Amino acid sequence: MEQKILKKDQIVKLYNHIVKDYNFYAPIKEKRNITFKKITNPEDIVLDYYNSKVPPKEIIFPQTDILFEYKINGKEIEIEEPKNLEEKNIIFGIRPCDAHSFVLLANFFSQGEFNDEIIMKRRENTTLIGIGCNTPKSTCFCTSVDGNPFQKEDMDIFLVDLQDKYLVEGITNKGKDLIKQFSWLANATESDLKEAQKLKKHAEDAIVTKLELKDIDKILDPNFEHPVWKEASEICIGCGTCSFLCPTCTCFDVIDENVPNENRGRRVRIWDTCQSCLYTLHTSGHNPRNSCIERVRNRILHKFCYYPKNYGMLGCVGCGRCVQLCPANNDLRVIIEKIMEIKPKKEEKITV
Amino acid sequence: MKRLWKLNQKRRRKLLSNPYIPMLTTVKDIISENKLNDIKTLDLIFKNEEDYKGFQYIPGQFAEISLIGKGECPIGIASSPTEEGSIKFTIKKMGTVTSGFHNCEVGDTVGIRGPCGNGWPIEEMKGKNIVVIGGGFAFSTLRSLIIYILDDRHRKDYKNITLVYGNRDSGEVLYQSDLEDWKKRDDINVILTIDREEEGWSDKVGFVAPVVKEIAPSPDDAIAVVCGPPIMIKTTIAVLEELKFKAEQILNSLEMRMKCGIGKCGRCNIGNKYVCIDGPVFSLAELKKMPSEY
Repeated sequence: MEQKILKKDQIVKLYNHIVKDYNFYAPIKEKRNITFKKITNPEDIVLDYYNSKVPPKEIIFPQTDILFEYKINGKEIEIEEPKNLEEKNIIFGIRPCDAHSFVLLANFFSQGEFNDEIIMKRRENTTLIGIGCNTPKSTCFCTSVDGNPFQKEDMDIFLVDLQDKYLVEGITNKGKDLIKQFSWLANATESDLKEAQKLKKHAEDAIVTKLELKDIDKILDPNFEHPVWKEASEICIGCGTCSFLCPTCTCFDVIDENVPNENRGRRVRIWDTCQSCLYTLHTSGHNPRNSCIERVRNRILHKFCYYPKNYGMLGCVGCGRCVQLCPANNDLRVIIEKIMEIKPKKEEKITV
Repeated sequence: MKRLWKLNQKRRRKLLSNPYIPMLTTVKDIISENKLNDIKTLDLIFKNEEDYKGFQYIPGQFAEISLIGKGECPIGIASSPTEEGSIKFTIKKMGTVTSGFHNCEVGDTVGIRGPCGNGWPIEEMKGKNIVVIGGGFAFSTLRSLIIYILDDRHRKDYKNITLVYGNRDSGEVLYQSDLEDWKKRDDINVILTIDREEEGWSDKVGFVAPVVKEIAPSPDDAIAVVCGPPIMIKTTIAVLEELKFKAEQILNSLEMRMKCGIGKCGRCNIGNKYVCIDGPVFSLAELKKMPSEY
């Protein structure tokens, strides 16, 4: 596949072409944060950003998602399917870690006997136009979790920021077909490709966190009762920021929202967090995860033990949001390092 | 059994593409089950014949039942698939949704999603002596199992059946008319017990575990099914192990907080297993391999 060049001032042209058929989501600056929004003005797009605060998973798995709407007429009930699932979306400027999270989300929501039609339909109708990270932040650790700041496999179209222009590469057939519509794109030259290679190397070197994660699921499995969990949860305040803003977290609560003074409403699912006490509280009062220790343990085990067991890949994409945004500075990277230190102790025991 | 279950799910999926949309039923009958009147059984009929045909379940499975506008909760199916025409749920009044069910009137609409979960392994239990041990309110799926086994079409597949059912007092004993019927039969041994002596009570007195110890069911070719409050399960399992029941021969049905019932909302996990799809029925052998977080 030959690569193309998109000049920075051509983004408006690209937008005007795409927006006819798609909802165009892109990173914009809002309240001093970067956030993915359906945009109407291509001038708002910000592409030289680190990453959005709320992951773009909210486009296919919104914080509040209507499961169905209902009308109550006395004893009779009418149910209506959720709308707008057939709309086509473009997510422009998504980072490689977040694009990888879409693979993890799709694995989970399509797995087993029950396919989550709502999310899977949205995923099918979504095209990812991602961009490599030229300048990763200190909290990024994608290279430790099988990722890369220039990982393009999880996207449909991959862009590289070459200062005054973007290198454009179609990855999937969906992406390649879309590029074919833009006949006005110039061809990339040999020096453009070389420049992209250089940027890739530079970005990889810029990621300073290197975590050893080999066989972490096998270390975690027998250490369910290990004191490391008490240590890891000591400063946790149970706010749930780490899981609400995690691009791979999938948990939700289901409630009925009634329209006041009207006989109608909707059943919605809302993001939930395993860091909350209510998350597992039984009606009887019993709680299987009664303290922060069990709840922090569940979050880490889910990403690094349970998810790998069920899907053969790590449940973390290394975006660093939980590290950057934790109000108590409970650093996932430090916890992982502590876990990996368990290993030699065990081996010592065997040799003694 | 697993394959049968899978087939059912496939059939169900055809009916419902959005797995969160409930099928609608009408309340046909409401029965108060105890003296305190905080446990009621709802008898439901599907509004749509097709939905009923698709709702193929086995004893031990549960369903997500909802009052539209109030909310949804997972409840074990109390009826047996052999009781055709309707399905029953026995509900204790606890929170908003369950109180809503208690305020239901005949003719009200109730939503159902399901059947969910694996259910009792009725195929693997064939040819075995069955010891059913229940305590208190957690008896609904055991009722389903016993009705299923005692049905003429299935009774020959199973050997001796022993039932031990314990309660706090005589006013809390559920399904009294079923128990009367079973007591009259000679192909099931019914042993009832209450915690403290009461006037007019002719059955056993004492906790479930010592009663099981006293009657000492043989572990030979047997399966023990245990359902009840955690302390009862704990003490009863100790007794069964004393009686030389192997971990593979002891079955439990777990409870967990759930929202979706289809393995997506996340909260009912024990390790990498989800109680709603991998359970709620687990053998003690399986539970011993899982983290003790339930």
